[in-house]
Amino acid sequence: MTKSDKINIKPLARVEGNGGIKVEISDNKITNVEVQILEGPRLFETLVIGKTPEENLSLVPRICAICNLSHKYASLRGLEKALDVEIPEATNIFRHIMHHGEMLESHSLHLYFLALPDFFGYDNAVAMADEHGEVVTKALQLKAFGNKIMRMMGGRMIHGENPILGGFGRIPNRKTLIEIQEEAKELLAFAIDTIDILAELEIASHMERDTQFLCCKPPHDGYDYYGDILITSDGLEHLVEDYSKVIEERVVSHSFAKRSLYKGKPFSVGALARMLLLGDRLKGEAKKAYEKLYNERWHRNPLYNNFAQAIEQIFSLESVIETIDQGLEMEQPEVAKPKRTSGTGTGVVEAPRGTLIHHYEIKDGRTAYADYITPTAMFLDDIEAFILKGGEELLSSGKTDNIELQFEMIARSYDPCISCSAHLVTVEFK
Amino acid sequence: MEVKSEKQIVKPRIGIYGFTGCAGDQLLIIHTEDQILNLFDAVDIKSFVMASSNPTEGELDVAFVEGSISTEEEREHIKEIRDRAQIVVAMGNCAVAGGPQAMFARDGSFAERIKQVYGDVKFITDPVEATPIDEVITVDYYLPGCPISQPQTMALIGRLIHGVEPEDITTPVCLECKLNENKCLLNDKKLCLGPVTMGGCGSACPNYGLPCVGCWGPNKDGNFSELFRLLNSFGIAHEEVMRRIRNYGGHKILKYIEDIKDKER
Repeated sequence: MTKSDKINIKPLARVEGNGGIKVEISDNKITNVEVQILEGPRLFETLVIGKTPEENLSLVPRICAICNLSHKYASLRGLEKALDVEIPEATNIFRHIMHHGEMLESHSLHLYFLALPDFFGYDNAVAMADEHGEVVTKALQLKAFGNKIMRMMGGRMIHGENPILGGFGRIPNRKTLIEIQEEAKELLAFAIDTIDILAELEIASHMERDTQFLCCKPPHDGYDYYGDILITSDGLEHLVEDYSKVIEERVVSHSFAKRSLYKGKPFSVGALARMLLLGDRLKGEAKKAYEKLYNERWHRNPLYNNFAQAIEQIFSLESVIETIDQGLEMEQPEVAKPKRTSGTGTGVVEAPRGTLIHHYEIKDGRTAYADYITPTAMFLDDIEAFILKGGEELLSSGKTDNIELQFEMIARSYDPCISCSAHLVTVEFK
Repeated sequence: MEVKSEKQIVKPRIGIYGFTGCAGDQLLIIHTEDQILNLFDAVDIKSFVMASSNPTEGELDVAFVEGSISTEEEREHIKEIRDRAQIVVAMGNCAVAGGPQAMFARDGSFAERIKQVYGDVKFITDPVEATPIDEVITVDYYLPGCPISQPQTMALIGRLIHGVEPEDITTPVCLECKLNENKCLLNDKKLCLGPVTMGGCGSACPNYGLPCVGCWGPNKDGNFSELFRLLNSFGIAHEEVMRRIRNYGGHKILKYIEDIKDKER
């Protein structure tokens, strides 16, 4: 590497969608870092205008395949507020099971197949299978299990239509639920073993810097992936309806995703943010795993997001077991009906990679305005800031042999979802 | 089925590419947990950026392409892939028809919508209205779906590996729905697009008591005008049917609906 150089990582591999990283170096100093979102814009917020809530719910999962049910769930929460739909508790229970399925699918895909090959020194997980066959085989089982839940609750593995306004088309039967519960119990051992694998890893420190965290606060005193309040690492709480004041957006020319700041500075969302803001609420094996892995560096180092995902895998498996117990005791829920045809609603859930916001204005049963803010669009500025810090550290210490890989690992640790973020567009009718 | 032995390929060189879409079709391949290790074994995967680093971008026997063409850069990239691939397979609704982002295809609203969203910002590559890949290059085979189905995908890959011509998909969702013994939702006067939608999903939505939204795009043998007439007779407005059928119809639906007029007018 010369003192003035340009590093172009394109395409960025093992992430979802088309992205790249451009780093410009002048006089051994980094002058510019761009995480480029090169995937074309789809303008989703313009596609749903004039559509019925039913059509919206069919369309929005198509924003992103990996977290399709999080999009569906955020949309449901927003639309049900807008149209005053009162959800029976049993429906909420089944939505939680659905959401845990997606967390397991997405986290296991990212942790074992997209991230771990870097730590073990392979191009991909299949190449890793020769030496780490058991991990890969078990990881495939865990991922298949997440998919099975998504299929059961969603109606198919990807883009299922079963979750509908007010409920579900069909609720799984007792036998299926008990089978899922049994399988969760079996897989828990592997999820716990994963903690030991991670505990052995050496985590690079070159990029470490302070940042801010944001996630949504569950409406109970436990850990969870949904809520109507946003909490931030400065100790403040914000109503989700105020999201546009909390998250400041702007457009940059190197990205079809908008960029976001909180109080003028980059921030992180995702498993690590949730763990740092809500980790003390964990129970059971998840709590043990958190206590085993957690250290102070988590506040300054995004690579620990992989660790946080591993803990959430345990949390979700334990939650599936517990939530199915609750579901088995309940009557089949009826589909709740909307009480009005016009209204405004903001729905927020934690997608696997962070806070996801769907905001709607519905007029006479048709969408008049929609705004979607995805986690990747929230954390892109934070990735750039960590790459800048890491790059400067590596340049000044002359450790530039695998600088590209180091940059890629920072970006990958966030589990960015480029399809999601490239649709992050806000339509302003002014 | 005629076996073209002279075309038999040993360990075909495969590239799997994603353009603008949700990555669901590539993800479906990654999600074939019981097949993925076999697949990586049976073919020589030269490029699959979503799953592996260090792609080798050279000659290919088969390129699988997901996503619509939505930027100038993507137009150039797809041509470059075509130049070095013997066979190109359009994979999923976005590559086949343009996807939901092409639901307003050719209505002239794109420039206005992009301005509404991004203002006057000039990007490093110019966005273009979403098109299927066959508007830019010649496509050899189509795998419809949103996302693609595992059985159809593995059948196509299997045939290509063995040098056998893949079969065209000609059956509608209704056929699979009947085989699954579902109650017909049209009998309940529901807006179901099953009769005119390409099959392969296994009637995913009617299996859950929900109408088909048409996400696999048009079935070429569908009787479109008759479905419009039937739905209109249920009291569903012409515009309503037209809007829904275009949600996933992209560019491919246009020729089937151009002559269908609102009878009430």
